[in-house]
Amino acid sequence: MRSLAQGLAVATLFASPAFAQIGNPAGTEPDTRQSAPGIPAPHQTNAQDQLFAQQAVIGGMAEVALGKLADRKAHNRAVAEFAGVMIQDHGKANEKLASLAGSARIPLPNEPDAEHKAVHARLERLSGAQFDVAYLEAQVQDHQKTAQLLQWEINSGQDAQLQRFASETLPIVLRHLRMAQDLASQIAGQTPRELAPATTGMGHQDQPRRTR
Amino acid sequence: MSQFLKAIGLFAAAFVSSVAVLSLAAISDPLPPDTTYRPLPTRPFSAVKADDEAQKQQVMQRQASLLNRRYDMSDRPIAGVMMSGGRKAVPGGVRVKLQSGTTWENLAEMSPDEIRQRSLLPEGFLPLPHVKQATGGQVIPDRQIDDIRRQEARDLRRFDVNFDLPDHLTPEFPPPIFLTTQPHLGDVSRGQLLTIKNFYEVMNGIITPVQMEGLRLLLTPFPQEEFNQTEDRKVAEQSTGITCLDCHANFHTNAAFHLTPDVRPQAARFRLDSTSLRGVFNQQIHGSKRSLRSIEDFTEFEQRTAYFNGDHVSATRKGVHLPDRTNQVAMMAQMQNIIDFPPAPKLDAFGRLDRARATEQELAGEQVFFGKGRCNECHVAQTSFMDNNMHDLKLERFYQVGHTFNDFVTLPDGPIKTFTLRGIKDSPPYLHDGRLMTLADTVEFFNLVLGLRLTQPEKEALVAYMLAL
Ligand code: HEC
Ligand code: HEC
Repeated sequence: MRSLAQGLAVATLFASPAFAQIGNPAGTEPDTRQSAPGIPAPHQTNAQDQLFAQQAVIGGMAEVALGKLADRKAHNRAVAEFAGVMIQDHGKANEKLASLAGSARIPLPNEPDAEHKAVHARLERLSGAQFDVAYLEAQVQDHQKTAQLLQWEINSGQDAQLQRFASETLPIVLRHLRMAQDLASQIAGQTPRELAPATTGMGHQDQPRRTR
Repeated sequence: MSQFLKAIGLFAAAFVSSVAVLSLAAISDPLPPDTTYRPLPTRPFSAVKADDEAQKQQVMQRQASLLNRRYDMSDRPIAGVMMSGGRKAVPGGVRVKLQSGTTWENLAEMSPDEIRQRSLLPEGFLPLPHVKQATGGQVIPDRQIDDIRRQEARDLRRFDVNFDLPDHLTPEFPPPIFLTTQPHLGDVSRGQLLTIKNFYEVMNGIITPVQMEGLRLLLTPFPQEEFNQTEDRKVAEQSTGITCLDCHANFHTNAAFHLTPDVRPQAARFRLDSTSLRGVFNQQIHGSKRSLRSIEDFTEFEQRTAYFNGDHVSATRKGVHLPDRTNQVAMMAQMQNIIDFPPAPKLDAFGRLDRARATEQELAGEQVFFGKGRCNECHVAQTSFMDNNMHDLKLERFYQVGHTFNDFVTLPDGPIKTFTLRGIKDSPPYLHDGRLMTLADTVEFFNLVLGLRLTQPEKEALVAYMLAL
């Protein structure tokens, strides 16, 4: 199992050094204090940062809650392991996000939204292999949405720390997405998507994918 | 923090207490509106401009640092090889920098998994970021800006960014123009950049009235995203706009770039290097992703959706040009359809080398192209070295997706149209986003991506061959 911390270590290996985000100032909040001309001071947020933090925290807390549910109810061991990764990675990300949002004085919701409540309620009622399929399906959808949300913040936000958080979290969320997709195809008896050979069919032999 | 932990507790409790049985479709919230749509500016133009100008130096420095980390940007032409107009030398050598501890040979021996897991893919093979991703938009090289200012007194200079590549890694300027209708004349450009001012003088007596009207429209500025009259622009003065040939200079390319219209959110929109319009008469699909089926469709849409933003909503606000399909679009298309590739005196009617004219090395390169390299399976010689198809090269086998470089998120390219290789030495930089600076770079790229394991002499022969196309 790969923890968030390990994930981040890998991320920094390939990430671009030192340079800050530079947004389009057309989207800067009019009351923004600047630390230098054109550069918002730390924790100066715009509407996008605020909405991002709220949406991301709802998604993140739901990941943990659904992970706990899956840990208890999963039929397939690999699904339970995946749920464990979700609890751990999103737990840490949630804490980080909460502290960044706190510094920027963004109020966070303390209740899931209707969408996640409905997913939870539906999963509660399922069991066995049916649960696994439904849980993974929900996970795929949630991670798809989260990936887009993180990308949105990377270009639309103005709080550099929240933007960096989004940049660092995105590769992990995309990895989760692929894990969920691979698991779902495994359960359905299909070849995992990622390592299908190139259209040319040339070159390397891929090793079969390990399940993490 | 303790308050937050309490919140998590409440959060979980809220799940347990929920017994609502609702249909998911009805309550699933969409992502924020400006994830797809372009937001309006939140502040007055003067304030935005002041901040943009203040940021500009940092923006350019950040991009230069990325480019220099990824590539050898020096001025090193191939001795004795000029672009078709004879005005500029073709840049040479492999410019993509290797990760430390690797060579091109040992990289080619590794599996994609190993390269990905050890983060060994040369960074220059990754998608290339726009100079300012969060804003994006059209960025025009200095020579074009200067010539347009001189001829038309129209300003294409943005206050927030400059063009980011050195002149020696871009096509010759102004490029020559070859017409399918007048092959005997050769280059008809007179060494000038075609503009709304000079086109009649340069082309009268050479093209038809229909083509002339098409040309006039292709040279007429229309307002769009960055060049317009509203507060949402990136030029100092209210602008009358931009023309088709401001990027497709003399129907070739000046390496002006932009972001793809086909992807959202903004952070994921990849860079697009302007394509040459030479030989467009033979192409069945247009655009690296859109696969529009006719030059007429492309021409109409380019203007309809604000030249490459894929955003008809924003375009409408700034003033769109809706060219009449039969009276205007057809003429613009017919003008584009007579633009020929530059002459390739060493090729026969099948697109194969004439043995009497080609060098040993070029012939060896042709053998690799059709043999071990399998290049011809997509770049089909007989159809102008393309196949009118899109292919997914799956570069993401070699790197971890989702990392951010200069606010741009690197994601898989997906299927991209096979570009023609006719006249290819005239159009650096290469690939849809211009991430490769030289033909030698493209050989290393395909050697790795297709798992070819070419030898050094084979690689050099392939480059020599492509210079002859
Ligand atoms: C900002 C510079 C720019 C301007 C202005 C511009 N283009 Fe393009 N053009 C490009 C780029 C970049 C591409 C590649 C698009 C892609 O890959 O999706 C392209 C592609 C094309 C193609 C498709 C070539 C092919 O076969 O794939 C045609 C045709 C074309 N442009 C015509 C026009 C016309 C007509 C106009 C004016 C209405 C115009 N362009 C204005 C940059 C520009
Ligand atoms: C599977 C199909 C395929 C094969 C095989 C292939 N190519 Fe390509 N080629 C493409 C595609 C697709 C693109 C556009 C890729 C992009 O822009 O991201 C391209 C682009 C190029 C370009 C850049 C063109 C431009 O205008 O920027 C060059 C040069 C090139 N290929 C050379 C080669 C050589 C040399 C080989 C053989 C060693 C080869 N290709 C094999 C599909 C292929």
